[in-house]
Formats: sequence, C-alpha cells, structure tokens
Amino acid sequence: MNKVIPRIALRNLSRQKKRNILLGGAIAFSIMIVTLVNGFTGAFIENVSENFAYLMAGHVFIQGSERTASGKKISAIRDDSIIFDAIANSGIKYKTATRSSEASATLVFEGKSTSQNLTGFDLENSGFLRERLVLKQGTWDAVKAPDALIISEKVAKKLNVLPGDRVTARLQTVTGQNNIADFTIAAISVDSSIIGSAMTYVNLSYLNEAIGLKPDEYTSLNLMLDDLKDSAPFADRLYTSMKGMGLQLFDRNQKNESGSTTPFQAMLQSQNKETWEGVKYRVYTIDDVLSQAKQIVIALDTASTVVLIVLFTIIMIGIANTFRMVMYERIKEIGTMRALGVQRGEIRSLFLYEALFLALGGALAGIILALLGMNILQLINFGMDSPAFLIMKNGHLSFSLPPLRAIGNIAIIAVLTLVSAFFPARAAAKMEPAEALRTLK
Amino acid sequence: MAIIEIHDVKKNYPLGKVEVQAVKGVSFLIEKGDFISIAGPSGSGKTTILNMIGLIDKPTAGEVIIDGKATSGLSDKELTRFRHEVLGFIFQSFNLIPVLNVWENIEFPLLLGKTRITKEEKNSWIDWLMAEVGLTEWKTHKPNELSGGQRQRVAIARALVTKPQIVLADEPTANLDSATGEQIIELMKKINRELETTFIFSTHDAKIVEIADHIIRLRDGTVTENRRRGEDVAASATTVEE
Repeated sequence: MNKVIPRIALRNLSRQKKRNILLGGAIAFSIMIVTLVNGFTGAFIENVSENFAYLMAGHVFIQGSERTASGKKISAIRDDSIIFDAIANSGIKYKTATRSSEASATLVFEGKSTSQNLTGFDLENSGFLRERLVLKQGTWDAVKAPDALIISEKVAKKLNVLPGDRVTARLQTVTGQNNIADFTIAAISVDSSIIGSAMTYVNLSYLNEAIGLKPDEYTSLNLMLDDLKDSAPFADRLYTSMKGMGLQLFDRNQKNESGSTTPFQAMLQSQNKETWEGVKYRVYTIDDVLSQAKQIVIALDTASTVVLIVLFTIIMIGIANTFRMVMYERIKEIGTMRALGVQRGEIRSLFLYEALFLALGGALAGIILALLGMNILQLINFGMDSPAFLIMKNGHLSFSLPPLRAIGNIAIIAVLTLVSAFFPARAAAKMEPAEALRTLK
Repeated sequence: MAIIEIHDVKKNYPLGKVEVQAVKGVSFLIEKGDFISIAGPSGSGKTTILNMIGLIDKPTAGEVIIDGKATSGLSDKELTRFRHEVLGFIFQSFNLIPVLNVWENIEFPLLLGKTRITKEEKNSWIDWLMAEVGLTEWKTHKPNELSGGQRQRVAIARALVTKPQIVLADEPTANLDSATGEQIIELMKKINRELETTFIFSTHDAKIVEIADHIIRLRDGTVTENRRRGEDVAASATTVEE
C-alpha cells in the first residue's frame, strides 16, 4: 500500500470540518467518560484497601486459634516470638507490627444499647489511627486513659453519650464467659463511612483484661507493609516460612463454599469443620477480607464497557451515515481516482484510513480530556470526614488508569469505527469508474 | 500502425425498464501519435466511446484492442493497471484532488501501481511538465486557488506524468471560455508533437474539431464521418459505409 492513500485520507479530515469535529467530539466524549470511570475503578480497590488497612492497622494479619480439650476454640496469640522468627526467616520487610484484640460487645448507657465491635490497640502510640480518624469531640490526650473508648458519631448519638460519660460493655471472654467492663468515652470520631462508624477503639491491655487475656497477649498481629500490592506475596512467603518452622496453619487457599462471600469467610467456615491440637494460625491479607470490593470494581468496569459500547453504537450509526454521505459527495473523485489507476482495495483503504484517523484523533482527545479531568478532580479536597472517605485517598478523589485499559478502549473505538465505515467504504470501492464519473455531483 | 482498434462496439444502458443503445456497432482505427477529435452533438455517444477506449466502461458487444491487446477478458485489477500504464485522462470538470496541491496532483499517478522511478527523475520530470503547462509558480497552490484554465493545465500535466501512450480528453474545453479552450487544445497539440503521445479528445465545438489531424464524427451512436484532415468528406463517408 503506497503512502499517498493515508496522506489523502488524513487531509480529507480537513474537509467538512464541522462534521468531523462533531463526530470526533462524540468519540472523544465517550472515551473521556469511560476513561474517567476506568481511572476511578482503577484506584477504587487500592484506596478502599489502603483505607481499611489503616482502620485495621495492617495489610497482612496473623491470628491464632487454640482448641481446648472440650473442643472450644479460643482466639489468642500468647507468644509471638516464633511468628517474628518466621517473619525474619522469610526475609520480608514490614513497616509496622501492631498487636490488637477484638471483641463483640453490647454498649449500654442509661438504658440505651448498641452492638459494636471493640478493637483494642495501643491507642496512645497508634500513629495510623491519628492520621485517619477525625475527632469530632474529645481529644487524643484523653485516649491515654486505660479505659478510654473512641466511639463514632452515629453510635454516640444512638447512645446519647458525650466525652467523659462512662458506658458499660457486655461482652464474652475468649473462653466464652459473659463479662462486663466499663469504658470512658474519650473521643467521638466523625462517621467517615459505614465501616468507620462500626469501628470502636479501646486500649489493648484494658480490653485484654475484659476478655480474659493477659496484657501481653492479643488476638491478631497486624503487619503494615510499604506497599499494599506486596500483601499477597508477603502473606504467601510468611505462610511458607511459618509452615517450614512446624507451625500449624489453616490453608490459605480455601475454595469458596456456598454462603461465603470472601476468601477470609471461606477460611473461617472451613476452620469450623477442622480439628487440631494446640495453636493453629491463619494468615490473611486485607484483599482476602475485601474481595467484595473487587467485585464492585469488576461490576463498575463491566458497566463502563457497556456504556462505551452503547455510546459507541449510537456514534457508529452516525459514522456509518456520515461515511455514506461522504461517499456520495466524493463519487466523482472516486471515479477519477479509479480512472487514474487506483485499485478498488485502495479506495476502500482510503475510507477506512479516514475513519481510523478520525477514531484515533477523537480517542486521543478523549484520553487527554480525561487525564485533565482526573487531575482537576484530584485537586478537590473532600476532607477525611467525607462519607466517601473509604474510596478516596487522603480525602481526595484518586484515579489510576492502567495503560492497557486505555489502549484497549482505543482499540475498541478503532475497531468499531472501522466496522461502521466498512460498508460505505466497500460500496465506494465497488463503484464502476464510468458510473462514478457520470454523476452530476 | 494502429494503437487502438474498435471493432463493432455496441453499448446499451438500462433506462428504467427499457434499454437504450448509446453506441450502435462502431468500428474505427486510431494510429499511434495521432491527434484525434471525436465530434458530435450531445447524446451522440462521444463520452461512451471515450470511456470504452479508456477502459473505464465495458462494451456490451464488440472488442476494444489497445496496443495490440484485446481488453474484453481483462479483470478489474488488470484493467486498472493497464489504464495506469497506458492511458492518461483529462476531464471536462478537471477532476483534481482537492486536498492535494498542484505538484502533488501531478505526482499522484506516479505514486500508484508498481512502477517506481528515482526521486530525482520524478522531480525533474514533474518540474519539466509544470514548466511545459506554465504552472511552475503555482506548484504549492490548491486546486480551489486556480482558474479553470490553470486547473485544466494541471490535469494535462497529471495525464502525462506516467508517460502514457494515449491521452483521452472528454470535452476538455467545455468548462472554459473559448480563448482559454483554444490555448488548452494548442497545448495538447504541442505536447502531442513533442512527446508523440496519441491524443483523443471529444468536443462539440466545430472550431476546435478542425484542429485535429483525424476527425471522427458521431450521430446517434454511429460514425457519420471518419477522415484525416484535408481528406474529402464524401470519401470518408463512403469509407464508413463500407
């Protein structure tokens, strides 16, 4: 194929400027919308996981489960030296290791009650909580008190409590005995999300006492990594290292059973059926817990592709009609070219090149507009107390566009444009030169 | 030596439910290097015969032989290649490619097909043609920036750029004023002499017809006169009847 055909095709775009700008604009608009959605979903899972990681103080979690002679399961890590040895042996590096305990409790205040999940940390030294949690009332100084409790705004309203009030927590010890503990409301946090409002933070040693663990024991070791993306390989290496050291471990790759929505739930369901002696550990990542978020991303991505196809089907009709019109407008030109020695295939290519250049130009403009849009949207600070906090990065909308996805979108647009221009192009190529030259247009 | 042989060529066109006979069994020979005019009133079949000689239309019956080669059995691809290599075209409405400038329009046929010449050869040949048609100053201008006469000069240069043996011109002066029309015919004649290219042009202008060396007159799809300049009209009519 000689170069003159694409050259003419490219220059033909300068004819009927308004029409081509409209068509190119429609292509650019559809690509821009889809790229924005893709950019948003690209960052969505990362942001959700990262924000959850901060709320849960880790990317990778190790939990111990003891089985008593009576078959009762106790969630506890009593000696973590062997775990840290396994971490050291695996050669993996982490940013922070946080010990935490958890308990389901019913908080009671002046006849009002609500169920909450209490998470015990070393509140005074927990940097990540201070970074992510916005206090509406109370101060970080107040959390130094051993019985301090940080409650969300919604729960505080439900219980009608203020900082300084004392609430009673009805909970169970790790061995299943009922117990009661009193906490002082140290601070009320802003509801940043559904999950954020369900989290209630207390001091680890105080919670341990209430659930029957020693001050240096806990239920979960939470490891924060430098990069969220390292979670799965880190967990796999740790798992192998712990197994190599003779520790009992729950299988990390449990198949999803009916009713389980995440790999973590599948792991828990499987554990209920197993029997063991001593302590058995489970290693899981934030992604195992949040796999539902991935399903949301897949749904959003699928929706954006459907939007692209719907938008483009409309544009395709426009392109097909436009190129049919172009064919009639240039009928004499086609006849001239054929007379001068241009083959049928080259006439077809002329139209297809023109369509391709239009698609690529529109798509490129769309990508540039989307990137500009992303940069502008990223500048807006919604604040850490935004209801959409979990899907944002430090209170800002964030986008991440995988290059392959962008290339894929451009390819879809290019292929669909070529398909829409193919039939007019074929009709133009089939035209007999004498017939084309006879036309009065 | 005949470069074109037309043997009992007929052409029918469908017009609604009926067929119209545009050319009714025409035969004639054209010699190499001739400057021929195909004359006749509108609807006499001039353009149809030129189209069939130019291989852009196929006869319903009969045979068109060009340079000794029968063209009836050729495929579309072969016909296109043959057109490109042997024929040049000049159209009534100039038919230049609007997005290409003068130089590029003339260059265009050289970029088609498989024949390749060096860049230097190509440039000097196009420059020579541009000088020949008097458009050296206009090489970067687009067709819409030229007058009708200038556009037809570009078309003449474009028709000659592949060094064809035959140039076909369908009413090349129809869209020009009479003075410019005469200049164009004179230019074609000059090139015909210099390059020995066979020129066949159709016209309904009696004044221009007489410039040709060989005149073929048509009426209602039949040849009514076929004579060389200076030849007796009565004698030529007898020849046609034979």
